[in-house]
Amino acid sequence: MSASMRIGLAILMAYLLVALVSLVWTPHDPLSPGVGDSFLPPGGEFPLGTDRIGSDVLSRLMAGTRYNLGIALAAVAVALVVGSVLGVLAGYYGGATDVVVSRSVEVFQAFPGVLFAMLVVKAVGPGVLNIVLVLAFIGIPDYARLARAEVRSRRAWPYAEAARMVGNRSWQVAFRHLLPNSMGPLLAFTSINAAFASLVTASLGFLGLGLGPNTPEWGNMIARGQDGVMTGEWWVSFFPGLAILGMTGAFYLLGDALSDLADPRRR
Amino acid sequence: MTGMILRRLLWALPVALGVVSITFFTARLFGGDPTELYAPPEATDELRAAIRERLGLADPLWLQYLRYLGAVARLDFGTSFSTNQAVATDLTERLPATLELGLTGLLAGAGIGIVLGVLAAVARERVPDFLVRGLTLAGMALPQFWIGLVLIWIFFVTLGWFPGPVGRLPIEVTPPRPITGFMLVDLALLGDWATWRLAAWHLALPATTLAVATMAPIARVTRASMVEALQSDYVRTAVAMGFGRRALWFRLALRNALLPVVTLIGVLAGNVLGGAVLLESVFGWPGLGQYALQAIEGSDFAALQGFTVYAALLYVVTFLAVDLLYTLIDPRMRGA
Repeated sequence: MSASMRIGLAILMAYLLVALVSLVWTPHDPLSPGVGDSFLPPGGEFPLGTDRIGSDVLSRLMAGTRYNLGIALAAVAVALVVGSVLGVLAGYYGGATDVVVSRSVEVFQAFPGVLFAMLVVKAVGPGVLNIVLVLAFIGIPDYARLARAEVRSRRAWPYAEAARMVGNRSWQVAFRHLLPNSMGPLLAFTSINAAFASLVTASLGFLGLGLGPNTPEWGNMIARGQDGVMTGEWWVSFFPGLAILGMTGAFYLLGDALSDLADPRRR
Repeated sequence: MTGMILRRLLWALPVALGVVSITFFTARLFGGDPTELYAPPEATDELRAAIRERLGLADPLWLQYLRYLGAVARLDFGTSFSTNQAVATDLTERLPATLELGLTGLLAGAGIGIVLGVLAAVARERVPDFLVRGLTLAGMALPQFWIGLVLIWIFFVTLGWFPGPVGRLPIEVTPPRPITGFMLVDLALLGDWATWRLAAWHLALPATTLAVATMAPIARVTRASMVEALQSDYVRTAVAMGFGRRALWFRLALRNALLPVVTLIGVLAGNVLGGAVLLESVFGWPGLGQYALQAIEGSDFAALQGFTVYAALLYVVTFLAVDLLYTLIDPRMRGA
């Protein structure tokens, strides 16, 4: 296991741990205002300070891990499954399926993802499920394109031929033999896509589109601290950014390491 | 060559059609009934029906869709009910501000990114390489709006070196009458250099934010493709023939390594409008992004739809341009 993979995995485990701990314990109630005075600087009872309405930034940051990590993981999981299935179908069977899938993929790729997410979330309204589905939807074309290319290039390989010869049905060859062998590049992309998904989640939150106004999602928190930055109370917006940096960076590191594994020519 | 360009142009049409259709149906299926936005709460059913009639909402969906396609083809995106102007006029007025910021940030970011990428590649697995890789990882993992806020905090709030997030000029300065709409160009044409410096000062922080976000992926791709080029046979041959290091790096390796970078710059340019929504909201920049944000906040779907179509079409056009540029700079593509 390479160093960047170890670091990436370790950081993500730490985030997962914080998310789980925050379910049962945070230093203060992340949702209630006035646990301290307004805009207390970092230190003492509030290691990361308090925001304008006197909520504890550290507690909110911890609780936010559930939203930002959870949404990213759920979204890429859905996109990976749906996108791979579409891609395998297009790549293995070709013909009309391929034309429909490939053309739709190209149209959706011409659509800036963040904009599409904004448009849809604005229209369907806030909520965790809505964000997960929109992010998954944005990701699906990339997975489909990737899975299609992988399966197409392997369709005529001897092991695929052998699998057909011993009497496997075509869907078995496609999904049990070709897809598992294509998982390397797909998983590498999943990790990089998770980084993208967590940035878009934070962006939606920053624009006030993502979740309810008091939700301790990191983008929301940065938006709430925006006025404070202008008057010198930097900490409300600053720390959620670091939290995003750690998580997104870890996904990128892991994704890079997985790409290297999947393609040994890349170093 | 001409055939290739024609094929590409024809190919952009169905993609553009698809994008416009997605926007229409997303807004129409999820957006609820626009009548409610126009009708006062105490409106009678007759009034509502009249509004629906007036907005063309009483017609079947397919007819509305065709009408929308026809309008978009004439670049007519309807009327914004927050500005009471044609959406197309609004968009055209605000485009130069976004482009000025976008081009400055992209060019600066691409320049720095390429230099850093080359630096990392020639010093592979040594200190400069690790520094560049760390920096670019951070640049990709941080949201742009946060980078912008931190720059404001450091350079405006704490140090006071740069102006705050008030837009393109201080509030008390009357902006020049637009000639091109590009503030720096207009002021230079007018010879008003005092205001020009103010405008450049106001552009600095938002452009730097965009440059940081652009620099990171460009440096990474430049590094990767430069490393590959440096290991190639033609570079080895050139080493054996006694070429100097500078000629090796810049004349041979970099020229070939830049091909994937061109594609990436195209992708990033296509994303400028999407990113503008966040960037402009942080800096109070009066461009398309802020217009879109106001449209989001006011549920102004005509404006939002117009902006999205605009952004997506820009995306398609950028890709087309990159494709064509690619055929020009990559001799291998000429036969295709």
